[in-house]
Amino acid sequence: MSTPVHNTAGPLLSISDLHVTIPQRRGEVTPLRGVNLTLRQGRTLGIVGESGSGKTMTALALMGLLPANGRISRGSIEFDGVDLVSATPKQARRRRGTDLGMIFQDPMTSLNPTMQIGDQIGEGLIVHQRLGRKEARRRAIEILERVGMPRPDRIAADYPHQLSGGMRQRAMIAMALVNHPKLLIADEPTTALDVTTQRQILDLIEDIKEEYDSAAILVTHDLGVVAGRADEVAVMYAGRVVEHAPARELFENPQHQYTRALLAALPERASGSDRLYAIPGMPPSLKEEIAGCPFAPRCHRAQDDCRTGTIAFEDHGAGHRVACLHPGGEEHLGQLSVPAAAAEKQVLAAQSEAPAPETGAAEDVPASAEVVLDVDGISKNYPALGGSVIRRRIGTVSAVNDVTFSVREGETFGLVGESGCGKSTLGRVIAALEQPSEGVIHLDGTDIEGGKGRNSKAVHRSVQLMFQDSAAAMDPRMRVDEILTEPLDIQGVGTAKDRARRVEELIDDVGLAQDSLERYPHEFSGGQLQRIGLARSLALDPRVVVCDEPVSALDVSVQAQVLNQMKDIQAEHRLAYVFISHDLSVVRYMSDRIGVMYLGTMVEQGPAEEVSARPRHPYTRVLIDAVPTVEPDDERERLLVEGELPSAMDPPSGCRFRTRCPFAQEICATAPPVVEMGAEEGEHQVACHFPLPEDGTLPTRVGAAR
Amino acid sequence: MWQYVLRRSGQAFVVILLVTFITFLLLHNLPGGAARSALGLDATQAQIDAYNVQMGYDQPFLVQYAMYLGRLFSGDLGFSFQQNQPVVDLIVQRLPKTMVLSFLAAVVALLIAIPLGVVQATRRGQWPDYLVTSVALLAYATPLFFLGMLLIVLFSQTIPLLPPQAPQGFSVLDILADWPGLILPVVTLAIVTLAAYTRYVRSTMIDNLQENYIRTARAKGMSEGRVVIRHALRNSLFPVISLLGMYIPALFSGALVVEQLFNYPGMGLMFWQATQTRDFPILLATTTIVAIATVVGSLLADIAYAVADPRVRLSGGSE
Repeated sequence: MSTPVHNTAGPLLSISDLHVTIPQRRGEVTPLRGVNLTLRQGRTLGIVGESGSGKTMTALALMGLLPANGRISRGSIEFDGVDLVSATPKQARRRRGTDLGMIFQDPMTSLNPTMQIGDQIGEGLIVHQRLGRKEARRRAIEILERVGMPRPDRIAADYPHQLSGGMRQRAMIAMALVNHPKLLIADEPTTALDVTTQRQILDLIEDIKEEYDSAAILVTHDLGVVAGRADEVAVMYAGRVVEHAPARELFENPQHQYTRALLAALPERASGSDRLYAIPGMPPSLKEEIAGCPFAPRCHRAQDDCRTGTIAFEDHGAGHRVACLHPGGEEHLGQLSVPAAAAEKQVLAAQSEAPAPETGAAEDVPASAEVVLDVDGISKNYPALGGSVIRRRIGTVSAVNDVTFSVREGETFGLVGESGCGKSTLGRVIAALEQPSEGVIHLDGTDIEGGKGRNSKAVHRSVQLMFQDSAAAMDPRMRVDEILTEPLDIQGVGTAKDRARRVEELIDDVGLAQDSLERYPHEFSGGQLQRIGLARSLALDPRVVVCDEPVSALDVSVQAQVLNQMKDIQAEHRLAYVFISHDLSVVRYMSDRIGVMYLGTMVEQGPAEEVSARPRHPYTRVLIDAVPTVEPDDERERLLVEGELPSAMDPPSGCRFRTRCPFAQEICATAPPVVEMGAEEGEHQVACHFPLPEDGTLPTRVGAAR
Repeated sequence: MWQYVLRRSGQAFVVILLVTFITFLLLHNLPGGAARSALGLDATQAQIDAYNVQMGYDQPFLVQYAMYLGRLFSGDLGFSFQQNQPVVDLIVQRLPKTMVLSFLAAVVALLIAIPLGVVQATRRGQWPDYLVTSVALLAYATPLFFLGMLLIVLFSQTIPLLPPQAPQGFSVLDILADWPGLILPVVTLAIVTLAAYTRYVRSTMIDNLQENYIRTARAKGMSEGRVVIRHALRNSLFPVISLLGMYIPALFSGALVVEQLFNYPGMGLMFWQATQTRDFPILLATTTIVAIATVVGSLLADIAYAVADPRVRLSGGSE
């Protein structure tokens, strides 16, 4: 542990035994149940946990911004020598926006949509320093410049909707900074952003923290985000801090079984043939008292003593504190997944009679397997409308441009790219929900004619979609059995009795109990809803399922359950998946082959391991390098880009990535790159004039790398 | 922005054309025809034929419609035989009076509804919220004529504070000079829209108070009053602007009752009297004008909304 700079003074922040309760119509919820944290000046603390773990609630309690009726029922928060729990509302208000600055998750909704950026930033100065409007605006512009806004004077007069996501988050950071906070709290600051932007924003927060010599709390669900950034990490579960350690120590030597399970559930560390460790069950309800360790019901090492009494938060030396009676373990994290996976199977098998296949992996797709889906030169253009009195076409948005790939039986093709790259549009075209502007899609050798031809009904039957937000993709007034029967009704499959039997089979297949059929979507958790979504997409025995960000809204442990389930079902039914996601590690884990998209074009495709280990297109490399990982010793040379995605309405000429590519030369602007290397079906292909060398080094003329 | 105004104006013009077509269709299909209603039951067939030829009613339907449109756009709204005056003169005289009444009523309604809605939203689920909701619903459910009479009995009979009759002046200025007489009609008419406005302000305020940006504003350490007024209320008022435009028909139908009740010499009273005497030219002209006022009103509200809300203003109002 490095010697802290401000060792003489006590900690800047010290939270002990913090309890928060929120009365509800019936009973009360206790989202925080004994939080213990300390933070010294100038340090960064990462708070990680899944949804409902209380990480955001801790930040809000600190800010004095608990939801209506919520109150601190026990414990203390000491900040800078002052007790925050006993502070009057007025004192708490004075401290907000001055000593305590907070950055919120979604910069679009967290900014006032009808107020100029400059005014929103200046407000903090007007309120706390009694500055005049003009002076406040001048200072706001200075701070906008500091957070790296181009043309800050103009941006100050802009409204939030005129800025991109990354710029909005910069404005949000500027807002938290105006009064030089001693503690900067960032609640999921990059969750709504693309990875390349995420990196820029996290760098900015780090810089600012150094410059102002403040402390920072980074609240996130993403272990990778804190791994590289935080000095210390606190892991929360069910309203408690279960483990708190210096970052390196935590990731190298995790002690609490929950932390260990969480790390084992990350697809990032798993190879495609592994089953992920899916933590069985669900977090406990925060309405009831929990005796003993809250994680005990889901823990593979739980003993009888875990289920009673209070589990002490003990110091294991070197600042490593753990609330676990049976910490650590002989097994390496990677190996933990093997017995645990078996345990999970038992849990699932107890819930349903579904036979779990031995290996869920589909990595051994024989080259002879039949090509199910053949996407050939697909483009999709949308008219851009405008004009004064009568709406007319003023241009074309090129959402997908000349994309070619194929998927074989039992194979997963991963489509990865940032928002706006056209991956979802391509998914809808494949599912015949949209007509391609150019190109042909063959399904089992037959042209699907955009789902409009004579065989349209058969096409819709053979290609199904699975959505990101199943809660939104299901009619809230339909019971689950109605949701699952509907596709069968529409296609006129069998008799009513056959359909009922089929629906029972389906719910079994995805590992849910039969009584789920009688319930409504809102009664299920996110992970269960994704399983129902999967069941619905399987109802018609499709050949291809297009999965559009199927696990992006889920917590890591639940994500692992759904991914495992998807692999099992694929192996059982010889399904072909088109797996769309922005998350490279999930795509790599799930897919046999990967296609990387940028601004409508497929820049690189090939075998999953090959593309992620030896990317040849600069954009793929950028994407891979931007993803923060949980490896503490991750010191590889990174390729970074600045700026943001150009408009798809007038895409750059030649190679669409050239405007942000550090290696771009004249030819990149004049000629669109042709696909190089393996011309064979399924081989590693890259569309670049100057592909990166195979050994993973970066050429010397790296302009933008730092 | 200008593109948006132009496009919306074009759309409004088309709607107005449709409205005139429908009103004309009604006029054309009057039982007994226009001639019968103009000349009376004693007119002979010859007289009727002569009248029809004179007025051009023997022409084909579309030709008549074109002629009607021509007259309409040159400001000729027909002739009231019963009042023995061109309809347009009557309207010029009375329309401003109704506009004054409706405008004042709308302003009063807003001045009361906005604070009430804000109090309800910030005290949601507490007694002020329930109290206002109950009173608003009661007012909303009470028939207007009854409410008006109640106010007359209360404030000019029991407590003789205000005159029971509206001002009778010939010009708008005369009426405004006699303002105590305006109070009861304005208040009565305000109650028509008050309840709806209060509910609306309450619900948009509640929505806005739950938005993330309100939490951001609180995190800046602003006082709760500043958060509510500068952030939540500001954004809640944009949709109220468009509501104003939509309430023009409600105001007119309210004016119909109120003007009759207080004997206020506006369009409503004229319309009421015209229905009693079957003065068709006046009825149709009034209907047309109210329809046009509704279309123009919602057009103006939309434009005002677009000017006020930067999200619409800066995207050129394309959505």
